[in-house]
Amino acid sequence: MFAIETQHLSKFYSRGKVKALQNFSLTVEQGKIFGLLGPNGAGKTTFIKIVLGIIHPNGGKASILGKPITDYKVHRHIGYLSEKHHFPGFLTAGRVLYYFGKMSGLTGSALEKRMDELLELVKLSDWKNHKVREFSKGMQQRLGLAHALINDPKLIFLDEPTDGIDPVGRREIRDLLQLLRDQGKTIFLNSHLLSEVERISDEIAILKDGRLLKKGPVHEFLAVDRQYQLKIAQEKNTLEAICQKMSVTLSQTDGAFMISVKNDEQLNELIDRLRSSKVLIRAIVPYKISLEDFFIDVIEENEGDGQ
Amino acid sequence: MKLWSIILLTFRESLAKKTFMAFLGISTFICLLLIFALNLDIVNGMQSSVSLFGQDIESAAEITKILFGIESGIAILLFSGGIFMSLFATSSLVPSLLQEGYIDIFISKPVSRLDILLGRYLGAIVIVALNIFYLVIFSGAILSIKTGIWNWGYLWAGVIIVLTFGALFALMTFLSVLSRSGPLSLMITYLVLFFSPMLLARDEIYALLSSPVYGYFFDGLYYFLPKTAELGVILQKLVSNQPVESWMPLWSSMLFAVFMLAVTAYIFQKKNF
Repeated sequence: MFAIETQHLSKFYSRGKVKALQNFSLTVEQGKIFGLLGPNGAGKTTFIKIVLGIIHPNGGKASILGKPITDYKVHRHIGYLSEKHHFPGFLTAGRVLYYFGKMSGLTGSALEKRMDELLELVKLSDWKNHKVREFSKGMQQRLGLAHALINDPKLIFLDEPTDGIDPVGRREIRDLLQLLRDQGKTIFLNSHLLSEVERISDEIAILKDGRLLKKGPVHEFLAVDRQYQLKIAQEKNTLEAICQKMSVTLSQTDGAFMISVKNDEQLNELIDRLRSSKVLIRAIVPYKISLEDFFIDVIEENEGDGQ
Repeated sequence: MKLWSIILLTFRESLAKKTFMAFLGISTFICLLLIFALNLDIVNGMQSSVSLFGQDIESAAEITKILFGIESGIAILLFSGGIFMSLFATSSLVPSLLQEGYIDIFISKPVSRLDILLGRYLGAIVIVALNIFYLVIFSGAILSIKTGIWNWGYLWAGVIIVLTFGALFALMTFLSVLSRSGPLSLMITYLVLFFSPMLLARDEIYALLSSPVYGYFFDGLYYFLPKTAELGVILQKLVSNQPVESWMPLWSSMLFAVFMLAVTAYIFQKKNF
């Protein structure tokens, strides 16, 4: 059973003039962190809202945790942090968790215990009895995250979870999400912070103009086959000569050499030759492009294909 | 339990609005006024005289008449002023629920859209009922204790006012779901509140109009809309312990509320947020 499964999902606005989602099919496995990426207006939030029943699709089918999205009861196992979540300013942090915890089916001491645990987790214990209107953007975001976890969900949708949070807070949220994934929960993440997504996501999908452009494991997209970054001390001429003899492609970027080999054997032979020529190797690492570079490449490749 | 939590949250949200606190303050003021305005002299355990605002009242029949008059006055004041204020105070409840970022939270919970809407509607009814019954019971108790005459019909005033509010709030909920605008919904609801009594005089209006189509139109409006003026008459009769000639205005207004809620629930179910 997939955590999320959609088939040919479509959503149009303005009598079909605006295509928020077009024939969008996606599967998300359980127990993974899945990142949905796309430029503004790509349809990321629309997708989340459709699977949560906040928006109705014009066509296609979707299910979450094996149940059709029209079955609201499945929300018992769902957590959701909206991009623009808005809690009433007159409520205290404790009351926000209390009311929405009750709506999630929690009661009595179980609810009280869960509230305290979550406020502790998001470092808002001291603010339990403070009104939301006194909270900074970052604190509201942390409260939103606590609220999304109140029912100990199996599947968590997070729309821009680190928005407004400082670097330390971001790292804490990242650690928390990894912990939740280790507990077997599925996390569906929408984020503009590609570096965050790159660090924690197992799988990503790229969306543009409501269409799915790419989907797959992050490491497969970012690894560049048989290219390595090589750092050596000084002996540049020796390196160039050896590479020329072995027909290894050599280039230089950002103070490091980039080599492109045919196979592992050739890589090892290159290392042997460099070492026998007394070249001091400081580092040799498989070359990876950043998610940001990959994302921009994919978007640019598909520029103008939108309509 | 989940529906109850939505009702409680709506109640809490209403309390945060100053209007209801003002309402409560005015109610308390009226009750205090009654405590001090109505003076009774008790001699050897018997009531020897009653005075209201310094005027002596002699006979028991006159006391009963005065009591019914005061209670009718309060009931009518509550019926018009109370409903007017309650509609004003609750006008933002549904639009605020529909705000982006707030409605999402509700729908993402294991609660049906019908429960969300009903929770909001009933939450408003509960807070208005509490305010209305606070004044009715408090003032009724003061008057009854002071005069020794217990008019249970006065309690019906609370019921009729809450039911009338329920019918008008159903209309306001419908308009709010359609337009997402509190002020617009309030304006149209006020229009119905003040326009529906005019439909009582629709025979006079027909006389001024040439086409019979207008007759059907106004008749249709009359039977469809809540009959606020006639509900006020029913309320007065109940408070004065007089027989009510026709309950049609009450049940047709309740039918209107049920119809509006059903249509609203259907629209709410289909709406994208």
